[in-house]
Amino acid sequence: MSGRGFTLPIQEVRAAGLTAWLVEDHAIPVVALSWSWRGGAALDPEGQEGTAGMAAALLTEGAGPLGAVAFADALRDAAIGLTFSAGRDSFDGGFRTLADALPEAVRLARLAMAEPRLDEDAVERVRARAMAAARRTLETPRGQAGRAFWAHAFPAHPAGRQSGGTEESLAGVTIPALRAALDRQIHREGLLIGAAGAITPARLAEAMEALFAPLPPGAPPALPPLPPFRPFGQEVIGLASPQSAVVFGQDGLPVRDPEWEAAQVALRVLAGGGFTSRLMQAVRERRGLAYGIGAGLSVLFGHAVIAGSVATENARVAETLAVLREEWALMAANGPSEAELADAVAFLTGSMPLQFSDSRRIADTLVAMRQNGRPLDWLEGRAARLAALTRGRVAAVSARLLRPETLSAVVAGQPVGL
Amino acid sequence: MTRRTALRTAAALPAALAMPAIADPALAPDRQAEALAERPLFGALAWTEANGLRVVLAESRRVPVAAQYLFYAAGGGEDPPGRSGLAHFLEHMMFKGSRNVPPGAFSLAVAREGGQDNAFTSRDVTAYHQHVEASRLPLVMRMEADRFAAPLIPEDQVEPERAVVLEERRQRTDSNPRARFVEAFDAALWGPQHWRGRPIIGWEEEIRAITREDMLAFFEQRYAPANAVLVVAGDVREAELRRLVEQFYAPVPARPHRARDRAPPPAAPLEPRLVREDPLVREALLLRSFAAPSLTWGDPDQAWALEVLAHLLGGGPGSRMHAALVETGLATTAACSYHGEVAGAATFALSATPRPGVAPDRLEAALDAVLERLLQEGPTAAELSRAVRQITAGAVLTLDSIGAVPRLIGSALAIGLPLELVEFWPRRLREVTLPQVTEAGRAVLGNGLHATGWLLPGPAAPQRGGPA
Repeated sequence: MSGRGFTLPIQEVRAAGLTAWLVEDHAIPVVALSWSWRGGAALDPEGQEGTAGMAAALLTEGAGPLGAVAFADALRDAAIGLTFSAGRDSFDGGFRTLADALPEAVRLARLAMAEPRLDEDAVERVRARAMAAARRTLETPRGQAGRAFWAHAFPAHPAGRQSGGTEESLAGVTIPALRAALDRQIHREGLLIGAAGAITPARLAEAMEALFAPLPPGAPPALPPLPPFRPFGQEVIGLASPQSAVVFGQDGLPVRDPEWEAAQVALRVLAGGGFTSRLMQAVRERRGLAYGIGAGLSVLFGHAVIAGSVATENARVAETLAVLREEWALMAANGPSEAELADAVAFLTGSMPLQFSDSRRIADTLVAMRQNGRPLDWLEGRAARLAALTRGRVAAVSARLLRPETLSAVVAGQPVGL
Repeated sequence: MTRRTALRTAAALPAALAMPAIADPALAPDRQAEALAERPLFGALAWTEANGLRVVLAESRRVPVAAQYLFYAAGGGEDPPGRSGLAHFLEHMMFKGSRNVPPGAFSLAVAREGGQDNAFTSRDVTAYHQHVEASRLPLVMRMEADRFAAPLIPEDQVEPERAVVLEERRQRTDSNPRARFVEAFDAALWGPQHWRGRPIIGWEEEIRAITREDMLAFFEQRYAPANAVLVVAGDVREAELRRLVEQFYAPVPARPHRARDRAPPPAAPLEPRLVREDPLVREALLLRSFAAPSLTWGDPDQAWALEVLAHLLGGGPGSRMHAALVETGLATTAACSYHGEVAGAATFALSATPRPGVAPDRLEAALDAVLERLLQEGPTAAELSRAVRQITAGAVLTLDSIGAVPRLIGSALAIGLPLELVEFWPRRLREVTLPQVTEAGRAVLGNGLHATGWLLPGPAAPQRGGPA
């Protein structure tokens, strides 16, 4: 069986009081490093949504002696891809670089974190970009439905807000507010680090010292715990469009739930990627209702929400939703067949080598494992844990997890008969 | 952004050949780049089977994964008149079974092995691909060769799949005001029935008109072995690949195929200026596109020079458009895009989004001024060397992705470019001279075929895409 013999030797590297996970591979001269703090948009004060996102973007818009253009040129002259971003519950940094340019990548990343300039003209450019992105999201049914889904599910929590901000909130973000956001966020403690590629543990330790030792001590503030998902039935947003976009979902489970992998298998069978899931078969292959449909576990604040999407002609939205609810209920009632279980386990096991073949993606995956509190040998044991899953266990988790009566949906478009 | 930079930034999975220490740390970065240019990027092997099928192996032992990409040298640009969307519709129907593989069984078998399979249709190619654990390569080669020989294209699957394609069109284009505008703009510049002016997914009426017979004819004429390129990348040895190709692909008999026959650009645009207002749009957009030479049409030296020109004109911070439009506060974004690796005429495209409160005319006048000055004075030597340096600096990063290598090789070979060009493109780009860039700019951005478009927030009802 493919993938069963797959191993990924992960080394632990300690420096600057921090621990990094490293997958060392010298086959090609490329190095990727990713790091993450808890925080991100979740730390934005009420009414100032988008501050963390703007602050992240500004870190690569000029630092130390380098203005925005000089900083960009320094990165691009050496083909260094350095990025910072603010997620719903995390603030993330990272780069991919040719091995020769590692010292330059470290120098620029350190400068970005330690001495961001936040020049007024750069702030205005970044604000204009963020506002344009927020407005563009509202131009499509998919954008409108996605925004409303989270707002309805988590009405009084940062998880329900637009993490990139709205036109109104972005307009009010000041330079002192951006400074305050970076001061809250960028600390030495609480950092999760992943690395991959042509770098030895000793070189990685040097890079960690250079990058992180100078950061202020302490950790970013704790995040507000996620309230329960609020089921909201069905909401319609009227929008002139020949097709309606639907974003649907329900509560999931904590990432530390002992049946996490059984839930992954259940969702793979019901709604996973590709052509093989029950939803794809029922909606696209048998009825031609949509180009695609899928759902998965979306992790935020240590908890997974089941979220998915589909888009269909206005006249057929009602039929698509009926098929979706029917498949949801069937899976909840009976779980997978033995054959579906075997296929899903084979896919999840066999696809592991494919997920660990691009250096930045490996580094990001290592960070994600640490965010989810996985042990160092999590991947090593994964194939055996998946193989040990029985139909009964996956059926039990399907019954516990999937609650058709709580399945909630936002429909944006001009749906007929809803 | 050029096709190559797009590939570099979009790197996804590993297909790197196990290279010797590729860069010598003793050399300064500039010298390293030069040293790299002297060796092939991918070290790929190529040969041609007796039936005309071209085969390329880009070996990499980095991870135990293999990728198979089968390219056909036919895409949306080859759709017959009145049947736009045919190449793409056929791509969907190729998943409906073949002589020895029942409908749906291909994807299920790949998924069962933990692999990924998909396909894409561009203007120039239709490509089918799978990524699998390396020992599963024979399985996917057997199945791909089976539909290469004899797809079923079952009659009873045509109508349900047409519904899927129409939903795909609604999702990608009809429910997105920006996509609707870009589609209309291409048609305004090239004409709605010109191969470059039609959408790859097809006009809605024409998707509805496509028949099973159209698909069979397209398959017969365009999917012949001599019109295909098979690229395998990853942990695979030459002897093993030769054996598998002999076993699975070689038995498909040679047959004549219809070569590409791309019309030249029209003498004048259908509409030199397209202004659309759309009530769903909240952010205006300026487009200006020029017909341009490519590596397969017109002067290929100009194509290389245009790639440099696109970078220094609108390739992000430091470029002329960024300095004159974004840094001055007139625009939120301003960019230039040019893809020279295409079949037939290419497009040199400029785009900008005005900042709120900036009148469209003011932004357009500022763009005109940038172009006028560039054409009069030409770029500087410093701009040329920085552009070449930045475009080529990350060439090796392509190796960090298993999909990028076969995509780059297959799309080049399928439009008739030699493997050498893919292996040594940084060296070729470094040969571009300042007079060449100035000349290419004057030739293309002067009085050639071009159009300007504005998408504006507005009250008018959205217009449906369709043949004018």
